[in-house]
Amino acid sequence: MGGRDSRVSLPVYGGGAKEAAARRPDGSHVFLTTKFNHLIDKARKNSLWPFPFGTACCAIEFMSVMMSHYDLSRFGAEVVRFSPRQSDLLLVAGTVTDKMAPVMVRIYEQMAEPKYVISMGACACTGGFYRAYHVVQGIDEFVPVDVYVPGCPPTPEALLQGVMRLQEMIEGGETHYQLALTGRRPKGEAHGAA
Amino acid sequence: MTTADIIVCDAKPLRFLQRFYVVEIVKGLAVTMRHFLGNLFARANTVTVEWPEVKREYSERLRGRHILLAREDGSPRCVACYMCETACPADCIHIEAEEDATESVEWEKRPKVFTIDLLRCVFCGFCVDACPKEAIIMSRTHEMAFTSREEAIVGLRELMQQGPIPRHDLGYRPYYGPPPAGGIALPIPVKPAPARASG
Amino acid sequence: MAQREELLAAIQRGYPEGAGVAVLPGGDLPTLRVEKRVLLSLARRLKDDPALDFKLLSDVCGVDYPGREERFEVVYHLYSVTHGHRIRLQVPVQEDDASVPSVYGVWKAADWFEREAYDMFGIRFEGHPNLKRILCHPSFQGHALRKDYDPGQRWLLREGEQDQPAWASRRLEDEDHFETQVLNLGPSHPASHGTLRTVVRLDGEVITDAEAEIGYLHRCFEKMAEQHTWNQVIPFTDRLNYCSSMMNGVGYALAVEKMLGIEAPRRAQVIRLILSELSRIMDHLVDIGANLNDVGAMTPFLYMYKAREEIYSVLEACAGGRLTVSYVRIGGLANDTPAGFEDAVRYLLKRIPPLMADMEKLITQNLIFRQRTERVGAMSPADALDWGWTGPCLRACGVPYDVRKAQPYLGYEEYDFKIPVAHTGDTYARFLVRVEEVRQSLAIVEQALARLEPGAVITDNHLVALPAKEKVYTEMESLIWHFKWVMEGMKVPPGQVYGCTEGANGELGFYIVSDGGGKPYRIKVRPPCFAIFQAYPHMLKGHMVADSVAILASLNVIAGELDR
Repeated sequence: MGGRDSRVSLPVYGGGAKEAAARRPDGSHVFLTTKFNHLIDKARKNSLWPFPFGTACCAIEFMSVMMSHYDLSRFGAEVVRFSPRQSDLLLVAGTVTDKMAPVMVRIYEQMAEPKYVISMGACACTGGFYRAYHVVQGIDEFVPVDVYVPGCPPTPEALLQGVMRLQEMIEGGETHYQLALTGRRPKGEAHGAA
Repeated sequence: MTTADIIVCDAKPLRFLQRFYVVEIVKGLAVTMRHFLGNLFARANTVTVEWPEVKREYSERLRGRHILLAREDGSPRCVACYMCETACPADCIHIEAEEDATESVEWEKRPKVFTIDLLRCVFCGFCVDACPKEAIIMSRTHEMAFTSREEAIVGLRELMQQGPIPRHDLGYRPYYGPPPAGGIALPIPVKPAPARASG
Repeated sequence: MAQREELLAAIQRGYPEGAGVAVLPGGDLPTLRVEKRVLLSLARRLKDDPALDFKLLSDVCGVDYPGREERFEVVYHLYSVTHGHRIRLQVPVQEDDASVPSVYGVWKAADWFEREAYDMFGIRFEGHPNLKRILCHPSFQGHALRKDYDPGQRWLLREGEQDQPAWASRRLEDEDHFETQVLNLGPSHPASHGTLRTVVRLDGEVITDAEAEIGYLHRCFEKMAEQHTWNQVIPFTDRLNYCSSMMNGVGYALAVEKMLGIEAPRRAQVIRLILSELSRIMDHLVDIGANLNDVGAMTPFLYMYKAREEIYSVLEACAGGRLTVSYVRIGGLANDTPAGFEDAVRYLLKRIPPLMADMEKLITQNLIFRQRTERVGAMSPADALDWGWTGPCLRACGVPYDVRKAQPYLGYEEYDFKIPVAHTGDTYARFLVRVEEVRQSLAIVEQALARLEPGAVITDNHLVALPAKEKVYTEMESLIWHFKWVMEGMKVPPGQVYGCTEGANGELGFYIVSDGGGKPYRIKVRPPCFAIFQAYPHMLKGHMVADSVAILASLNVIAGELDR
C-alpha cells in the first residue's frame, strides 16, 4: 500500500558523470561551470511553468492565484501548461484519490527534467481530514515532493510563499531533482508513507 | 408557482450589425481597452496585491496558525482537558497531560506534549471553539510552507506565544463583548503601509 | 396534512392490504414500505398516473441495518413537479439475496444512483444496463458503506488496472473504411473542470459513442460523516460543492434542525440567506467564467474573478475562511457578523453589476459565442426530468422548478424574486439562465438586508449549540453544558429526514438517518450534478469534440459534489 517501493525514482539523465567532468581533482567544482549552473538555476526559478494538477477546492484557490488579485505571472509562472511535456512544476492542488494516483504518477513520469513538485493543501500533503478508504494519505507515497503548502485551502498568499520557497530551494540546489543530480540525500529523507 | 414568478430569458435574435461583427469587435475592444488603460494609468484602482512587497490585510477572524496563550508567568494556559483534541475533525492535535506541581489547586494538569500536525489541520477553528480556557487561538499567519512532513508537526515550544501578540496578528478567537470597531475593508486595500516610492 | 392523506389514499387504492405496499406512519414525508416484487409496477404507476405524476426521481440510495433481518434497505425519493408533492419508498432487501429490480426502465435517472448503491453496498439491480462500480476504483474490494467495512482500509490501484468501457477495445471502421478512434478526455484535462473522464469514440471529429467515468475525487464523505459527530460533519460539507460552500452547510444544518425540531433564530436565517445567495452568485460567476474560458473567451474570466475576490473578503471577515467557510452550526451560525457587514454587502451589490455588464457586452450577443453554443447540447424538458435534472440546467429546458419557490426554506416565501426560464435547453440557454439568476440573487440580497435585525445568531438550546463564551468562562452551568457538548456531542432523536435546498446546481438533498446517537447513522447527499452528468454521454452523440467542451462547462459539474 504505497511506501518507498511505489515511489517514482528520479532517473537522473547523465548521472553524475557530466558533473564529474567539471570538477577539480580535489572534488570542488570548476568556477566557470559552477557559475553557469548557478545562472541556469536562476533562470529556471524565474520561469517555472506550472502544471496545475487541480482536483478539488485547492484548484479554485489556485485559479485565484492566477487571476488579477494575486498574479502568479509576477513570479514568471504565468504559462500554465496542461501538457506534462511542456511544464516543469507539478502543482498538485487538491485531494488525490486512489483512482487518480496512477494518473498523477503517469503525468509525473511524462514530465521532462528538471521537474519540481509542490503539494498544495492538506489533502495533497497528508490526506487532510480524509482518513478514508479511497484517499491517498499524502502524495509523497508516489512522487517526491519539494514543498508542502499547508492550509485547507491555503490562502493565495500562502501558495505564493510556497512558490517563493521553491524558488529559494532551486537557487540553493535543495530540490529533489538537484539533489539526485549531485547524489546527495535530502534532509528528512527517511520518511516513507505515514 | 404562478407565472408571475417566472421570467423568460430566451435568446434575442441578432441584429444585422451584430451579425456583420466588425462593430461588435470595436465595442468589445472598447471594453477591454477601458480596463487596460484604467489599470495602466489609474494605478490606484488596480486590484493586484503585489505580495510580498505589499500585503493585504487579512480579516480579524482569519483562521491561521495556532497560538497557545500563556499566563503571566509564561506557562501555557492550557490545562490539558483534551477538548480540542476531541473536537478536531482531522485528529491532528495530540496532547499528553502531566500533573502541574506548581499550581495551588491539587490535580491541576498541564500539557507535557502538545503537537499539532499542521499538514493535517484543515483550519476549521473547532479547537478554538472547544477550548474552555481561551488557551488556544488562531493567528493571521497562513504562509508557512514546509519542505518535509516532520517539519510540520509543531510542538509546545513553537506554538507558545512569544511575548505579547500584536493586534494585527490576532485571528480567529472567541468573541464576546462589543464587536471591535472598524468595518470590512472593501474594496480590498491594495496598497496598505508601507507606501512605496514608485507608483 | 390533508394533501398527504389524499396522496396516500390515491396510492393505496391500487394496493389493498397485503399487496406489498404499507404506509409507514409519521415522518417528514409520506413513506411507503414496498416489497421488491411490486416495486416496478408501483413505480410505473407513480410515474404514469396523472394525479400522482412523480416524474422526477430525486434519489436512490442504500442504507445498512446490520442488526435487522433484512439487512439493506433501498430508499427512493420521488418528486412531482406539477403537483409539488414528495414521497419516499423503502424497499427492504435480504443480505443473501441482495437484489432489487432496477427502475432504470421507468426513470433514466436511476442509472448512476443504482450503480452507486451497488458500489457502496453490493445490492444488485436486475435489469440495469451497466451495473459496475462507479465511485471506487476497479481494484477496490468490498463494499465501502457497509457497517463492517473499516473506514481506513485502502486498496492500491496499479497502472493498467483502470476501467475501460466494453466498446472501447473493439476496432471499428466507418463506412469509408477509416478506423474510428477511441479517445480519453480527462481526467487530467484543461477543459474537464476537475477530475472527470469521458471516453469517446471519434469518427473524424464527430463523437459517435461516449461514456463518462467519475469517482476520481471520491473522498468518502458519507463514511467520514458516520465517523464524526454532527457538528464535525460541517467542515466536510463545505468541501462538497466547494465553489459555493456555504450552501452545503446551510442545507445540512436545515435538515438536522428539522430532525431536532428546532429553528435557528431569525437573524441567523437572514444571514444564512444573504450568504447563500452570495455563494450562489459566486458559483455562477465561476461557471460562466469557466464556460467562457473553455470556448476561448478568456478575458471575462478575469472580470468574474474580480467580483469573486470581493465576495471572498466578506466571507473571510464573517467566518475566517475564504473558500471553505465552516460558518454554519446546527442551530444557527458560529459567530455574529462583524461590524460593517451591511456596508460591505451593499458595496458588493454595487460592484458586481458593472462587471457582469462588461461581460455581457462582450459575450451575450457575440456571434462567435452564439454559434458555438446555440443548438449545442440541447435537451428536451421531458428527457431532462427523466434524467433527474434540477437547477439552472432544468430551467433552461423550460421546467420552472426551483426548491426556493416549491418548498420554501429560510423565509424565501417573503422575498420577491423570479425564476429565470428558457425554452431551448441548449448551452446558450443555460448561460442566459445563469446570468439572469445572478441578477435575481442580487435583488434577493438587497431585500434581505432590509430584513436584517439585531438578535441572537444561535439557538440557546444548549443540547444543540455551545453556550456563549462569556458565560462559559464565568458560569458553572454553562461550563458543564460546554463540556457535555464537546465530549459527548449533540444527540439527534432517531428518525430520518430528507432535507432539500436549492444549491447552485439544483436540488441539493440530504437524506439523514439517525439512530439517536452523537454521530449520524447515515448521510446520503443527493448531488445535483450527479443526475445532470449522467445524461452527458448521451448528449454527446453527434456532436464534435469542441462541442463536448462547451457542453461540459455549461453543465457546471463540480467534482467535489459529484463524487463526494
